[in-house]
Amino acid sequence: MDTSPTMSYPISRRNLLQLGGLAAGTLALAACSTTSPQSSAGPLKTGGKPSGQINILDDNTNSVFKDSTIAAFEKQTGIKVASYQQGNFNDLHDKMATMFAAQDASFDVVMTWAGWSAEFGQAGWLQELDKTAVPSDLIQPALDAVSWRGKIYGLPKFVSVQTMFWNKDIYKKNGIDPHVAPANWDEFVKLAKKLTTGSQFGYACDMGNPAGAYQNFLRMLLICGGEMYDADYNPIFAGEAGVEGLTKLVELLQLHRVMDPASLQITNASDLADLFARGTTGIVFNWPFQYAVATAATSKLTKDSLGNGLIPGISVTSASIDGSEGFAINKYSKNKEAALAWLQFVATETVQLQIVEKEGWFPVSKSVLEAPTAVAALPVLTTYKETTRYVTKRYGTPWGNEFDQALSIQIINAMNGKTSPKDALASAQTTAQGLVKKYLKK
Amino acid sequence: MAGLAELGRKRETRFGLLLITPAVLIIVMLLGYPMGYAIFMSFQQWNDKLGADHRAIGLANYEQLVSDPAVHEAMGLTAYFSVITVVGGVALAISIAILLNRTFRGRTIVRVLLLVPWAVPPVVNGIMWKLIFDGSVGIANTILKSLGIISASVQWLSDPAATMNILVFAETWKLLPFLCLLMLAALQGVPRSLYRAAAIDGADAWNTFWRITLPNIRGPLMFALIVQSMWSLKVFDTIYVLTGGSGGPAGGTTTINFLAYLTNFSNLDRGYGSAMAVGIMILVLVIAVFWILVFGGFNRKRRAADA
Repeated sequence: MDTSPTMSYPISRRNLLQLGGLAAGTLALAACSTTSPQSSAGPLKTGGKPSGQINILDDNTNSVFKDSTIAAFEKQTGIKVASYQQGNFNDLHDKMATMFAAQDASFDVVMTWAGWSAEFGQAGWLQELDKTAVPSDLIQPALDAVSWRGKIYGLPKFVSVQTMFWNKDIYKKNGIDPHVAPANWDEFVKLAKKLTTGSQFGYACDMGNPAGAYQNFLRMLLICGGEMYDADYNPIFAGEAGVEGLTKLVELLQLHRVMDPASLQITNASDLADLFARGTTGIVFNWPFQYAVATAATSKLTKDSLGNGLIPGISVTSASIDGSEGFAINKYSKNKEAALAWLQFVATETVQLQIVEKEGWFPVSKSVLEAPTAVAALPVLTTYKETTRYVTKRYGTPWGNEFDQALSIQIINAMNGKTSPKDALASAQTTAQGLVKKYLKK
Repeated sequence: MAGLAELGRKRETRFGLLLITPAVLIIVMLLGYPMGYAIFMSFQQWNDKLGADHRAIGLANYEQLVSDPAVHEAMGLTAYFSVITVVGGVALAISIAILLNRTFRGRTIVRVLLLVPWAVPPVVNGIMWKLIFDGSVGIANTILKSLGIISASVQWLSDPAATMNILVFAETWKLLPFLCLLMLAALQGVPRSLYRAAAIDGADAWNTFWRITLPNIRGPLMFALIVQSMWSLKVFDTIYVLTGGSGGPAGGTTTINFLAYLTNFSNLDRGYGSAMAVGIMILVLVIAVFWILVFGGFNRKRRAADA
């Protein structure tokens, strides 16, 4: 007979509360622990026959992908594109940053450009590609847009370089030969003065937000023969070239009064393109899609009344800024091989020709750039070929957002006459030095 | 019998607790967890662009918060925006509510029309004011030109000070309906007999307002001031839409909440950004306590005077 007493442990409410608290605390601590992006065996290489499905997050620049590319890709590779989501470019950064920070694999492929390749690449959120996965005939500036410090984080989908567009009708009305582009900055200013009458302005740009202010300054810096950083990423833009460039930009607004004052509140290139298409602006420096907007049925311009040429230089013949876009692979993607297949498919000649012919963007491959059909479909491609002889840069960096914010404050203050170009750039350069030190641990 | 009553009371308490448990759990998940996580991050060096290894740095983010010139500037802009929208907005709301509390032909229609801005979604509100004050095609310039007030188009949104004032105007337009309705409801709760007695005593309009209306709506007034202070400190959507997501021009509309957004989402400096968010939360609490103390003191004085 077992005489040992039966032990009973009734669970009290206090015990339950303690247990619940302990569990909640454990869960909270587990959630608070930080994990690195999943380890990878190094850069991604092409290999085997990828299958399964992928999800793509893109900006709303291209319509050709959903119209035909996805179907062709699925047919050729057997990989299913489960979803292709497009968003406004200005909203994508936050969406992607939140997704990456949560280590979310909802999208295998994401749109990228020079700034994000550097920023998200440095954060370890984009999958690095092996050089063997990169098509051999890519144009270098296009590849730069998906690279950061020698590492390739994606493949380009189109090239975008700014060129000069002018309204030939306004030229003719003011007695100017519409077929000749200004050879240098002084000629450009003379032209812009002649084109400015009443509510019509000779020139307009988009510097109403930090990225716009940066782009407009960078273009001025480059046509003055300057550079943003030296080879070691030391900021050098506040030198003579930078001050001259910003001074000339300020003069367009304050001295020559040829710049539409609305330029300071135009926050994106689409609005600038629409403004030009309304037919009251003589000249704009804009991305290739300006051609499609200006020659659309709703525009006051036509193919015949649209002029296109190189951006006139100050200390150099010409220079331009790059805005090429590409696709990258989410570091947390579960199907990176299939994602890479999409990146490579977009860079093929067939897709690139469609992007040129249907959407008016420049191709990423040399072979398409030389194709007669491409030039016939997009006359501004001839100008683009000319720009390749001159400097075209973007300087995408991980500190781009902070720097653009700081620089734009100084640029706008200089444009409004609240500070001198020299002081404005000196202040911005000091900020840039701090950022470089912080992010490159120099 | 006492034991049975006690048992019944305990059962009722347990049942009550059971009923509120889902709500409490949801609040903890949706508010408590993110807040706790933000506080946790605020003590870390958590800049995604500096790598995935986040280390504890104690109060360093809070020290930076105190010494950061960008924060000082944003606080200055926040103070400017908040003082006008809170004090001015509530004062304007009381004035409109007093007018709407009077009997006049078409009062119901006016009251309904007052609700229109409240029905407009915040983002639409921002887009609307952006279009109105657009330098090229905005209706504001067209009207002012047609009235002969200006000869050339004004670039409202390219000047930091002008943009901030447009922001104040747009937010005041949006917030007025709620505040007016709140004040109107409060005014309708003031006994008419008090006004009749004041009239018999020969009180003028100012004394009637100061000694009868204001003391009798102090509860809703305190609520309006607290709520509006919170909304003004966390203003975001109108700034985002009006300035293309930049808080510009030249940082002219970067209030403290918008700076926290830029730090967290644009700069990916989530440790420092979380410290800012926690700082804003503390600021909201301090301001709420301030209004409670102000009105508490007002109540004490009234009671002392009555005694």
